[in-house]
Amino acid sequence: MTPTSGPAPAPERRPPSAAMKMAVAAAAVLVVAGGIAFYLASRTARHEARDGGEAVTTVTITGRTCEPNALTVPAGRNTFRIVNASDRAVEWEILDGVMVVEERENIAPGFTQTLTAKLAPGTFTITCGLLSNPRGTLHVTPSAESEAMKAAGGPPPVAFIGPLAEYQVYLTLESAALVEGAGRFVAAVKAGDLARAKALYAPARVSYERMGPVADRFADLDAAIDARAEYFERREQDPGFTGFHRLEWGLFAQNSTDGLAAVGDKLLADVASLRQRVRTLDLPPEALAAGAQRVVERIADQKIDGSDNRYAHSDLSDFEATLAGSRKVVDLLRPLAAPLDPTLAADLERQFGEVEAALARYHQGDGFVPYDRIGGDERAALATQLRDLAAAMARLNAALGLS
Amino acid sequence: MQIRLSRDIGSAAFIAIACAFANTAILVPANAAVEPRALVAPVADYKIYVTGKVRELVTDTRAFTDAVKAGDVAKAKALFAPTRTSYEAIEPIAELFSDLDAAIDSRADDHEQAEKDSGFTGFHRIEYGLFEQNSTAGLAPYADKLMADVLELQKRIASLTFPPDKVVGGAAVLMEEVAATKISGEEDRYSHTDLWDFQANFDGSRKIFELFRPLLGTDDRAFVEKVEANFATVDKILAKYKTADGFQTYDKLTDADRKVLSAAVNTLAEDLSTLRGKLGLG
Repeated sequence: MTPTSGPAPAPERRPPSAAMKMAVAAAAVLVVAGGIAFYLASRTARHEARDGGEAVTTVTITGRTCEPNALTVPAGRNTFRIVNASDRAVEWEILDGVMVVEERENIAPGFTQTLTAKLAPGTFTITCGLLSNPRGTLHVTPSAESEAMKAAGGPPPVAFIGPLAEYQVYLTLESAALVEGAGRFVAAVKAGDLARAKALYAPARVSYERMGPVADRFADLDAAIDARAEYFERREQDPGFTGFHRLEWGLFAQNSTDGLAAVGDKLLADVASLRQRVRTLDLPPEALAAGAQRVVERIADQKIDGSDNRYAHSDLSDFEATLAGSRKVVDLLRPLAAPLDPTLAADLERQFGEVEAALARYHQGDGFVPYDRIGGDERAALATQLRDLAAAMARLNAALGLS
Repeated sequence: MQIRLSRDIGSAAFIAIACAFANTAILVPANAAVEPRALVAPVADYKIYVTGKVRELVTDTRAFTDAVKAGDVAKAKALFAPTRTSYEAIEPIAELFSDLDAAIDSRADDHEQAEKDSGFTGFHRIEYGLFEQNSTAGLAPYADKLMADVLELQKRIASLTFPPDKVVGGAAVLMEEVAATKISGEEDRYSHTDLWDFQANFDGSRKIFELFRPLLGTDDRAFVEKVEANFATVDKILAKYKTADGFQTYDKLTDADRKVLSAAVNTLAEDLSTLRGKLGLG
C-alpha cells in the first residue's frame, strides 16, 4: 500500500522507547524524503529546461478536496504543481480506472511538488488526500501530438509489448492445460476405458484449438498432433497418422482402445514438446491478428463440413475453442485499434457476440449437439457469420498500421 | 510449473487493456538499443511470477483468515507476517490495482478516523486487532472481506495486461516507498514484522531487475554491478535478523544497520528509476 500520509504518529499505547525510536525514524524519513523531493524536483526542472514552454497546471489539496477539482489539459506532456494546503502529508495520483498513471508521494504539509506526465486523451480521476475524500476529474483532450500519432498510422512499437506479453502468458497457460487435458484423456485410453476416453476427447482438444492462431509456427508438431487421415498415403492405416485424430478414429470409428496406447504416448510427448516450444515463440505484432483471422476463416472454408472430427462429430466444441482463442487476440488488440478505428472495434465486438450466440444454441449438457445433426442450411448460415467475422478481423492489422 | 488460472477473459480484460493503452500510447519511440519485442518475454515471465505469488497469497490468506475467524489469536498472529510476504512481493505493480491495494493494505492513517474508521480494512486492520488489542473479537467481517478482496485480486490479475513501463518502473517505485515511508516501521506498526515485508519487497523488486537485466548492454555493466551490490547489501543486513521461522521484530534493527539499509534502499531507488529509460520505456 502506498500510504497517503507520512510516518505515523506513535499510537498512544506505544511504550516510550518505541515512541522515541519512531520519532528518530520519522526525522530520518524527513531527511530521506527531502532528498528524494529535491532529486525529483531537480529532475523535473531539467525536463522543463529541455522541453520548455509546456503548460503548468496548479492543483491545491485542501483537507477535503482538490482545487480546482476538475482539470482539463491537452494530450501529451503536462506538468502539475501540487500544493499541499492540508495539515497532513498527502500523495497525489492520476488514476485511469484503478490504475495509477502517475503519482507523487509523501508531499509534506505546506510543501509543493511538481509531477510531469505524458497523457493520452481520455478522462482520468485524481486523488485528493485521504482515501475517503471525493476524487476530482482530469479531462485530457486530443492535441496536435495525439492526432499526429493517429495520422502516423498506428501505435508505436512499445504499445504492442503488453498485448504480446499477455498473449505469451495465455499460450503458456493453454499449453500447460493441454498437457494436463491430454494426460487425462490418454490415461483413459491406456486404461481401456472406452466411454471415458470418448468423453474426454473433445475437452482435451479445447486448449489446442485455442492456440490455433500460432499453430503455423510449429507445423511439424501440428502435423503430429492434429493431422487428418486424408493427408497420409494410406489414410487411417498409415503409420504416419498420429495424434488426436488417430485416437479419435480408434475410439469412435473402431469403437475400441486396442492398439492406441503407443499413439497416446506419442501424443503426450508431442504436446510436451509443444509446451516447451511455446516458451520461446517470438511473435511479431502483425502475427496476432493475422493468425486469429486465419483460423476463423478456416472454419468457414474448410471445417464447416465436419471433416475435422469426422468420427466423433465434436466439431462444435472445436469451433467454440477456436473462437475463444481468436477472441483473446482481438481483445488484446482492440484497445489499441479502438481510438484509430472505432467502427471496427464495435463491429468486432458485435460480430463475435453474434457467432458466440449462434454456437451457444447448440450447447447440450457439458458439450454440444453432435455436428452430424446440424443441417446444411444451419451450417451455411454459420459459415456466413464466420466469414463476416474473419473479414472484420482482416481489417485489424490495417487499422493498427501493421499491414 | 503448473498454472491454473481462470480462463474467463471477459470484459475485465478489455478495461484493463484499455488502461494499458492509455498509458503506453504516447510514449516516446523506444531507445534504439533495445528492440521493443525483446521486452515481451520478461513482461510475460513477470506476469507468470505474479500469478504464482497471488496463488500463494490466496492459499495463505485462507489459512490466516480461518485462524482469525476461529478465534485462534496465537495462530493468527503467527500467520500474519508469512501470509503477507506474497502480497509484498508483488507490490511493485500495486499501482495497477490501487482500489484493492487500499482495501487490502492501507494503513490506519490513510483514513480520517484512523483505527476507528469503518473504511480501514485489510491486513493492517486485522493486525491492529490481533497485536494491539490481542483479540480476534469483531475481526470476522474484516477476515471475510480480506479473503474476498484477495480472490478479486486473483481474478483481476488473470485478465490484466501488464503495461511494460509500469512493470519496469515498479521496481523503483517500491524502493522509493520503502525509502520514504516503510523504513520508519510504519507499515507493521502493531506487529513490528516489517523485516518480513522488507525481504519480500526487495525480492519482488529484484525479480523485475533480474528479468530485464539481460536486455541491458555492456555500457550498463557498472550500473548492473552497483544494483546487484546494493541488493546483496540489503540481503546481508536482513540475514542478520533471520530466525528459525522468519525475522526478529523491527525494533531489534540496530541504528547502524538501519543506516546501511536506508542508504542502500535510497541508492536502489535512484538507480532503478533509470531502468525505464535504459529499456526505451522512458
